[in-house]
Amino acid sequence: MSFINRFHRSFASGLVLALAALHAFAQTAAPAAPAAAASAPAAAAAAAAPASAPLASTLDGRIQDVKGDVIRLNRDLLVLEEELLFPANTQVALFVSMDVGKLFSLDSVQIKLDDKIVTNYLYTPLEVQALHRGGVQRVYLGNLRAGAHELVAFFPGKGPHERDYKRGATVKFDKGTDPKYIELQIKDSSGKLQPEFDIKIWQ
Amino acid sequence: MFPTLHLRSAWRRLGVVALLAAACGAAGAGTFTTRPYSNVAPNEKARPIEAPYYGDALFHFFQDRYFTSITTLMASQHFDRVAQHADEAEILRGGMLLSYGLHKEAGEIFAKLIEKGASPAVRDRAWFYLAKIRYQRGFIAQAEDAMSRIEKNLPAALEDDRLLLQTNLLMARGDYAGAAALLEGVAQDSPIGQYARYNLGVALVKSGADQRGIELLDAIGLAPAADEEMRALRDKANLALGFTALQNARGAEARTWLERVRLNGLQANKALLGFGWAAAELKEPQLALVPWNELASRDPSDAAVLEARIALPYAYAELGAFGEAAERYNAAIAAYESEGGKLDESIAAIRAGKLLDGLIEKNPGEEMGWFWSIGELPEMPYATHLNQVLAGHEFQEAFKNYRDLRFLATNLKDWEDKLGVFGDMLDNRRQAYAQRLPQVQAKAREVNLSALQQRRDAVSGEVERAVRDEDAQAFANVKDRELLDLLAGVKDGLKSLGSDADAQRARDRARLVAGALTWRLAQEYPARVWEAQKDLKTIDTELAQARQRETAVATAQREEPVRQEQFARRIAELAQRIKALIPRVAALSKDQQQEVQELAVAELARQKSRLAEYSQQARFSVAQIYDRATAAPRKDDDAGKP
Repeated sequence: MSFINRFHRSFASGLVLALAALHAFAQTAAPAAPAAAASAPAAAAAAAAPASAPLASTLDGRIQDVKGDVIRLNRDLLVLEEELLFPANTQVALFVSMDVGKLFSLDSVQIKLDDKIVTNYLYTPLEVQALHRGGVQRVYLGNLRAGAHELVAFFPGKGPHERDYKRGATVKFDKGTDPKYIELQIKDSSGKLQPEFDIKIWQ
Repeated sequence: MFPTLHLRSAWRRLGVVALLAAACGAAGAGTFTTRPYSNVAPNEKARPIEAPYYGDALFHFFQDRYFTSITTLMASQHFDRVAQHADEAEILRGGMLLSYGLHKEAGEIFAKLIEKGASPAVRDRAWFYLAKIRYQRGFIAQAEDAMSRIEKNLPAALEDDRLLLQTNLLMARGDYAGAAALLEGVAQDSPIGQYARYNLGVALVKSGADQRGIELLDAIGLAPAADEEMRALRDKANLALGFTALQNARGAEARTWLERVRLNGLQANKALLGFGWAAAELKEPQLALVPWNELASRDPSDAAVLEARIALPYAYAELGAFGEAAERYNAAIAAYESEGGKLDESIAAIRAGKLLDGLIEKNPGEEMGWFWSIGELPEMPYATHLNQVLAGHEFQEAFKNYRDLRFLATNLKDWEDKLGVFGDMLDNRRQAYAQRLPQVQAKAREVNLSALQQRRDAVSGEVERAVRDEDAQAFANVKDRELLDLLAGVKDGLKSLGSDADAQRARDRARLVAGALTWRLAQEYPARVWEAQKDLKTIDTELAQARQRETAVATAQREEPVRQEQFARRIAELAQRIKALIPRVAALSKDQQQEVQELAVAELARQKSRLAEYSQQARFSVAQIYDRATAAPRKDDDAGKP
C-alpha cells in the first residue's frame, strides 16, 4: 500500500506543480504596486506604472532593450536609405491595392514607366490575402525626372469563372519636385460583374 | 505530469489578434484560433486607406512580418506620410511593440494617445492595452484602474479579449466567484471562454472550492470541440479531473473522467497511467493491466511510459503473479539504465550546441515573430527525449528570444554591408561632383546672362519705340526687309534715269510696289506687334528660368558638399551604432543559448533523476518479491512441522 501511496504522491506532486504553475502565472500579476500610482492622474500613471517594471538587469530585459534599439536603428537606416537613394524631388512610389477581389484572383503585376519595365512581381497567396484584408503594397520605389511620364500596368490573374484574365491600365502624369505616389487599384465592379483596374495619383 | 495550460502564450496570441482587429476595426476578426489570422474575413477595413504608406504597414502586418511592418511604419511616421491615420498607426505600432515584449515603449505610446485626447475609440483601445501591459507587468490595481476607464467604444472584436483580461484580474485578486460569474455569459463554444473556464476551474480546485472547480472542468470535458485545439483542451480538463479524483482517492470517478481522454492525443499516456492507478485505487489491479500494458509498449522517452514499466509489475505482484512481476521489474531496471545512458548522450549533444543548431535548421523563420513555434524536432540522438522540453512554454519563449537574436544579428550584418555600399556610393557621388563642377562652372560662365538681359532690353526698347511711332517697317521680317532694300535700290536706280515715258512707268510701278508693301506691312502691323511682344515674354520667361537654374547651380554648389557631408556623418554614426550593437547581440545570443540549453538539460536531468527513483523503487520491489518468495516456503515448512 505504501508503494501505491508513493505513486499517488508523485501524481499529487504533479498536480501541485501544475497548480503552482498557474498560481505562479497569477502571482506574476500580484506584486505590490506603488499605491500612489493608482491615484495619480490617469495618463501619467499609465506611463509611470509599467515603465518602472522592466527588469533591464535580467537577460530577458536586456534582450528586450536590444530589440528596441535595433528597431529604432532600422527606422533610422530606412530613412537614410530613402533620402540617399530616392530623394524627395525625384522619388516615385507605386502601390498596389485590392478591394473585394472576388471577381479577380491576382497572380502578378507588371509595370512599365515610360515604356521601360520597372517591376514584375509575382504574388504569394499570403500577400494576396494581405491585399484582400486592406494592405497596400509598395511594389516599386524609384526615381523620375521632373516632367511628363507614362505608366502602364498589367495585371495577369484569374477572372470570373476561373478564366485567365489579363488587363492593363495606363496613366499619364506630371512629376514635379515633390514625391509622387501612385496607387494601382484592383476593384470589383458588381454592376459589370467584372474586375476594374484604376490608377489613383495621390500626390 | 499534470496538464498545464500556457495561458500566457494563448493570451499573447489573443492580444495580437485583437490588435489586428483594433488596427483594422474588423468586426468579427478576433475569433481565436491557433493560426491567428486564418479566420479573419477578408476586406475588414475600418475605413478606406487615406495614406498608402499606412496600407503598406498593414500589408506587412497582415503577413505577420512585424519587424518590417513596424520599421517601415516608423520610417513613414518620420516622413509624416501617415498623418491621416496618425492614431491608428500609433495603436498598431504600440501593439506590435507589445507583441515583442517592449512593454515600456508600448505603454508610453498608449499613454501619449490618452494624454493628447485621441478619439474615444482610440482612447478605449489605448486604455485596454495599458491594462494588459500593467497586468503582464504585475500591476493589478493599475490594470483594474485602466480597465475601469474603458467606455463603450471598444471594437466588438476586442470584447472577448477584454473579458479574458477581466477574468484574469479577478483571479489574480482571488475573486474566483466573480471570475466565474463573469464567464457565465460567455458562450460554450467560445475558445477564449473555454480557456478562461479551464484556468478558473483549476484555480478553484486549488483554492479548495473543489465542487465548483470540478463543475467547470467537467463542462469543458464534455463540451463538443470543433478543432484540435479545443479537443486538446477538453483532454486537459478531463485529465485534470481524473488526477484530482485520484488525489482524493476517488478511483471510480477518476476512471470515468480519464476514460474520456482520447487515446491518440497528447494527454493519452498520462491518462492511461492514471486510468491504471484508478483501478489500483479500487483494489482491482487486473483492470490496470490493459492500460499499463498498452502504455508500456509506447515510446519510452515519455515519463508516463517509464512509470508504466514499474506500475505494470506492481499490478502483477498485487495479483500474486510474482514471477511475472520480478521479470518485469528486472526488464524495467534494464530499460531505465539504457534510457539513462541515452539521456546522458542527449545532454552531451545539447551542451555541444546540437539542439539549437538543429532546431534552427529544422524551423527556419523569416522574421522576428511572436507566432513562431517549434514545428519539427532537431536531428540529434534520442530527440524524442526533448518532446516535453520543447512543448514547454518556458523553453518556447527562451528559444524564441534566441531565434530573435539571431535574426537581429543577421539584420545588423545586412545593414553593415549596405552601409558600406552607401559609403562607396557617396564617395562616388563626391568624386563625380568634383569632376563635373568645373565643367558646369565653365558652362555657366559661357552663358552670360547679364549680356543676354542687356540684349533683351535693347530689343524691348526698340519694340516700344516702334509701337510708339507706329513704325510698321520696324516689324518687317527678313523677306520684307529684302523687298524694302530692293525697292530702295530700285528707287536709287530710277533717279539716274531720264523723264521719258518708260522711266515714268518704271517709277509708277516702283511707287505701286512700295505702296503695296507699305499697305501690307500696315495691315500686318498689329499681328506683328503682338508676335513681337509675345516673343519678348518668352524671352523673359526663359531668362527667368535661366536665372533660376543659375541660382540652383549656385545653391547646389553651396549645399551639395554640406549635404554630402551630412550623409557621410549619418552613415558614420549609424555604422557606429551597428558596430556597438553587433557585439551586444552576439553576447546576448551566447547567454541566451546557454539559458535555452540549460533549460533543456535541466529537464533531461529531471528525467534522469526520475529514472533513478524508478530504478530504486524497482530494485526495492524485486527485493521484496524475493523476500516473499524465500519467506513463503519457510512458512510452509513451519506449517508442515509437527
